[in-house]
Amino acid sequence: MISTVLNTEIGATRGASPLRKHKSISIGFCLLACLLILGALLVPGFVSPQNARSILLLAAFLGLASVGQTLCALVGALDLSIPYIIGGANILLPSLMVAGLPAPVAMIVVLLLGILVGACNGALSFRLQGQALIMSLGLGFAAVGAVQIYTSLGSQFGGTVFAPVPGWLRNLSAFNGKFFGLPFPPVIVIWAFIAVALGWIMHNTWFGRSLYAVGGSRTAAGRLGISEFKIWTVIHSVSGAMSALTGMLLLGFSGGGFVGVGDPYLFTTVAAVVIGGTSLLGGAGGYGATVLGVLVLTVLTSLLVGLGLSFPAQQAVVGLLIVPMVAIYARSPHIRNQI
Amino acid sequence: MMSVTAFRQVTQDRSLFVPAGLFLVLLCAVAFRGQGLFTNNGLAGAILVATPLILTTLAITPIVMAGRGAVDLSVGPLMGFVNVTLITWLVGNGITHPVAIIAWAVGLGAAFQLVQALVIIYVRVAPIIVTLSGFLVLSGVNLMVMSRPGGVAPDWMLSWGAGTSVFSPVLLLLLGAFAIWGVLRGTMFYRNLRMTGADERMAYTSGVQVDVVRIIAHMVGGVFAGLAALSYTALISSGDPTQGSTYTLQAVTALVLGGASLSGGRGGALGSTLGAINMFLISYLLSTFNFGTVSGFVTQMAFGLILVGSLLVNVFVISRRTVA
Repeated sequence: MISTVLNTEIGATRGASPLRKHKSISIGFCLLACLLILGALLVPGFVSPQNARSILLLAAFLGLASVGQTLCALVGALDLSIPYIIGGANILLPSLMVAGLPAPVAMIVVLLLGILVGACNGALSFRLQGQALIMSLGLGFAAVGAVQIYTSLGSQFGGTVFAPVPGWLRNLSAFNGKFFGLPFPPVIVIWAFIAVALGWIMHNTWFGRSLYAVGGSRTAAGRLGISEFKIWTVIHSVSGAMSALTGMLLLGFSGGGFVGVGDPYLFTTVAAVVIGGTSLLGGAGGYGATVLGVLVLTVLTSLLVGLGLSFPAQQAVVGLLIVPMVAIYARSPHIRNQI
Repeated sequence: MMSVTAFRQVTQDRSLFVPAGLFLVLLCAVAFRGQGLFTNNGLAGAILVATPLILTTLAITPIVMAGRGAVDLSVGPLMGFVNVTLITWLVGNGITHPVAIIAWAVGLGAAFQLVQALVIIYVRVAPIIVTLSGFLVLSGVNLMVMSRPGGVAPDWMLSWGAGTSVFSPVLLLLLGAFAIWGVLRGTMFYRNLRMTGADERMAYTSGVQVDVVRIIAHMVGGVFAGLAALSYTALISSGDPTQGSTYTLQAVTALVLGGASLSGGRGGALGSTLGAINMFLISYLLSTFNFGTVSGFVTQMAFGLILVGSLLVNVFVISRRTVA
């Protein structure tokens, strides 16, 4: 199943990509294969439908959260508001439903708010460029603070919201969810669909090509009549929307709203983008690469869990592996060769 | 004397306008809201609480100034690493001599940053990726060294955290860091650092040894991180492996609030210090209000909005400068 998802991914990104990306993608594949073989040899029960399902489920959340980070990285920005929007959406949705909004309406409201925060983020941080990540951090703080004020007015539980989660939402992203009778949660399909669609958009539309143009050279993009501001705002809005979506889907996974649910996504999204091979300075990479990065990261974590490592040890190992993994394909030329 | 040079710097360097202005506004607001800060005890407490953040901000200042988008994400966990190893390995094994403790803190900070600098230079991976990796590794290792906050600081350090006198050893740490920076400002290294940060290729072609500059910048940052860890240990009188990510985010924020550019070249100790003090004053000011049960959230929201506001003012000032 992993390979089918991956094949569609790669099929979508193979199109008109530069040589460098092919290299990073083939290396990513080798890495993934090595990890799977290692897992099969070292951990009993690693190659099983259950494990594949749980890996893909966790990868789907990380993958959805990384959409915005990838797009931002492509123009040289970082979005630090992602964990806060995820946390905010995760508690806002149940509290809107408690307030009496029907679930679909509540979800649309949350999604729109996510887009709004993202759009503000993009519009306000455009002039800051290099400093944009602090703007996203500030807006993230403001947004999650506002949501928490709203949800905790009239209740004494700050940070957690108790509400019955509708069955279909739970089915969407819980471990034992069913996709039209098939034994895997639909969120994996949602992720695959978004990944393929995004891969197509990035390579076949004016918007996608403009994104690479801006990331590659701002001056050249400007001469082509590409509005840098528009691109910048749109990708931040997409990032906000995807974060809100991830937050809402995580509600179905965990069964209760908790504002801290997004916290791990602050640096793991960056790590997934980096491992995939998208340059944080912009211009090179793509979402297909991030999908590989997400899978490598999730399989690696699952392998380390299987080997009995504690969470801190997993974090340390992942950190130690990032530099060698990136060094294989993303070494910058020596300064004397840059002149 | 020192305040005169500081004043001259503020009037000359427009990137310091915003942090200095914000500082004055916050000072007035604090004077209006709660005079508790201006008593001996209040000031001593403020120095104690603000010093770790000021020093972590100073620690990333030279590294950011060296350019290439080298935001050192690992600084918070590095401070935590020094803190927990100090408590567990040194004090836990009966080594409490002040010289040993201080040497360990400063040496460990510098050694770690040296490793990071060498990886950046010789493995040639983007600095932010190297420091992200450092962040993850140290966050994990900290929790492995010490699974939860605990332990006790050496006896002689316990009195540091009392916060009863303005002229405490913590203030000495801070002044020591400023002295180091003051000495560096006069050296060739400082000019080369600014040049490397502003345009690395130009610096290289002009004969600046950019690799050496980067190594020194990282090691100076490491020394400051070690001092920050000492002041942090004094503040909490124990070990805490969990605060790394908070301090990283706060330090980067303070740096930007202080008018430094994350893309290198622009920045300095005065701006970073002002930025960190402003962060402290904002949280102090917000703590004087009482919003009942939602207090923590209002603080978080207000903090975010102040951050956004001062960044926007920064943009306005900078864009006016480019027009002029």
